[in-house]
Amino acid sequence: MKKLLLFLFIFSITFVLHPEKNSAAENLQAMIDSLEEGAVLKLENKTYEGNIVISKTVTIIGSAKTVIKGDGNGNVISIKAPNVNLKKLTVTNSSMDRNSPEEYAGIKIHTNGNVVEHIKITNSFHGIYLSQAHNNTINHVQIKGMGKGEIAAQGNGIHVYYSNDNNLSHNTIEGTRDGMFFDYANNNESYENNISGTRYGLHYMYSDENIFKNNTFTMNTGGAAVMNSNSLLLEGNRFIVNYGNQSFGLLLLQANDNLIKNNTFYMNQRGIYIDQATRNSIEGNKISQNQIGIELWASSNEQIFTENLITENTIPAVTIGGSGENNFWSHEGKGNDWGASFPLTDLNQNGIGDFPITYQSSLYQLLEDQELSYLFLKSPALGIYEKMNAALADEKVMFTDPHPLAPAKGNTNLLLIVALGLAAGLILLKGRQLLCITFGRNGRKT
Amino acid sequence: MHYIWKEWKENIRGKGLWLSLSIIVLISISILFRSTALSFDKGFYVLLINLFDTIIYFIPILCLFIGAFSIFQEKEQKTLIMLLTKKDSYASFLVRKSLGLYTVVLVPILAWFFIYLLLIKFNFELDIKAYFIFILAIVTMSLLFLQIGAAIGSFSTSRMQIIGYTIFVWFYFFFLHDFILLSFLPDVTYESVKLFSVGYFLNPLQAVRMFLETGTGVYSLGHMSRLLQAFMWTKPAFFLLGNLLFWFVTSISTAIVFHRKEGFE
Repeated sequence: MKKLLLFLFIFSITFVLHPEKNSAAENLQAMIDSLEEGAVLKLENKTYEGNIVISKTVTIIGSAKTVIKGDGNGNVISIKAPNVNLKKLTVTNSSMDRNSPEEYAGIKIHTNGNVVEHIKITNSFHGIYLSQAHNNTINHVQIKGMGKGEIAAQGNGIHVYYSNDNNLSHNTIEGTRDGMFFDYANNNESYENNISGTRYGLHYMYSDENIFKNNTFTMNTGGAAVMNSNSLLLEGNRFIVNYGNQSFGLLLLQANDNLIKNNTFYMNQRGIYIDQATRNSIEGNKISQNQIGIELWASSNEQIFTENLITENTIPAVTIGGSGENNFWSHEGKGNDWGASFPLTDLNQNGIGDFPITYQSSLYQLLEDQELSYLFLKSPALGIYEKMNAALADEKVMFTDPHPLAPAKGNTNLLLIVALGLAAGLILLKGRQLLCITFGRNGRKT
Repeated sequence: MHYIWKEWKENIRGKGLWLSLSIIVLISISILFRSTALSFDKGFYVLLINLFDTIIYFIPILCLFIGAFSIFQEKEQKTLIMLLTKKDSYASFLVRKSLGLYTVVLVPILAWFFIYLLLIKFNFELDIKAYFIFILAIVTMSLLFLQIGAAIGSFSTSRMQIIGYTIFVWFYFFFLHDFILLSFLPDVTYESVKLFSVGYFLNPLQAVRMFLETGTGVYSLGHMSRLLQAFMWTKPAFFLLGNLLFWFVTSISTAIVFHRKEGFE
């Protein structure tokens, strides 16, 4: 009996101790070092201890639950050989040290031509850091930061530093400091990324000729901040609900010759914020239901706004800090569609209104001087304030659009009308007595 | 308990409550229809904010009217005198009547928004905590304006007076209060911003809106400047509570001090 009990006791201990884990936790670094050039390493569903340095051209493919966990003292994965391929891994626990000269990341890439895809990165300072690494492809990566607006204690989702010709697509970044930070990085392409809950979804500094298309930015402090960068192409992006006190969908600061085309700006504090920027072309965008559609500081010149749909914003456009007369609100005879707030006639049916639209407002001074005015943008009192100041002749021209576009013929929601009609018909036919009993007087006098 | 039942019976047969409810139902459904066009993961928050921005035009005035006319009906039908001879204190009558009003107005609204949640589930990804904060915002707004309405009903002596006072109160909160603040806005400095903030959050509409937007995470209060940090010297939830307390005390005391027992047509 005692021997049986002792045997059972020792047997059950093995369940508790998980010997599989300890005995099979091979040294991942050793495994990689022993590979040949061009080999493929398939990892199993367990947690491997980092940090690892990849100095050969290899392919590493994980399984559904493969985790590479760093030791908290450096980059979890450093890629120091070209054409490395990393797939289906979860990377976690890089160093979060802010005092070191190096900025640590989940995956740090120093070489060219690598492919990093289907990776999940958590609990790291930067997610992926490209340091002078060119022609890499990063897609379907999911990076989760600390959230809660923490900017000092964590880094960016993807940090691109002096790295050109990279392709970043289909990534999802949430809660990091900035979503993607481009620092002196040119000719990169960012497609179909989804960035939310960060400070700036995209932060471009001194990075020229990049393309970003079809990305979605929601609930960041700023959707995309383009600073000191030129000749960018922004097309088809969606900037939605970037709505803090000083938030914006797109910021152009000292950024010139950019083309901003066919984007959607919806429910931001400010749709586009342009400061000290020149010769940008803003066309075909849909700017609606923002507090301020376009905020243009007079230090900016020669912007072209054409064929945009600017509608249902609390303030469609405001020019601050001067008169901003050097900006063009039409191009080649085509202006913008200002929606229902600016009624238009189009008697010759050519799609272009018959007279120019001028918008005057007295709010520019308030917005320029006092940052707390943004708190009043949703209040109905603003309309009265503008009307009163109009009476006191205190207004200034915000913009003049010489060729405003007539609104496109929209189709009213047919389904809603049919449903309401049906409901009304039904009530009238079947429910008249019930209606009478509920709402009628029934012989009462009052 | 009897007050609640009496209130319920009176309002079910009257038009006021049903009209208000049908307005709210219609608005919610039409906003849901409009929002189905934008389907992406954060669409739920967009729907809530749009819904709140539209409902805020209706709930205050409807609750004011319901509260005022309910109290006035007691006077009109001379039941007020009867109740007071029994209990002999206007304050206790007012408290019980208010509780009755709250229950009668809130139960249908909560029921409707529960059904609405199920309707939303077909289109969007839900966030229950955000929806709860939305419901809380609507509930506090209704309670507050019901109480102010009850105060108006208490000291008015005719229907025309009620309509006049109600419209004035609505106009004040909607336009005048913010307009006065806007006139002072250019002169606000770092020293005076705390006082300005108290004035700003005394408007229940702004307090509720700030609570809703920060609670659902739509309005991020991160990276605030010094001025803004001094402006938001406590959490939005506390601003809302302070606002509620202030207006409850004011309306109840006004009602008790200035009440009239008789009403004329």
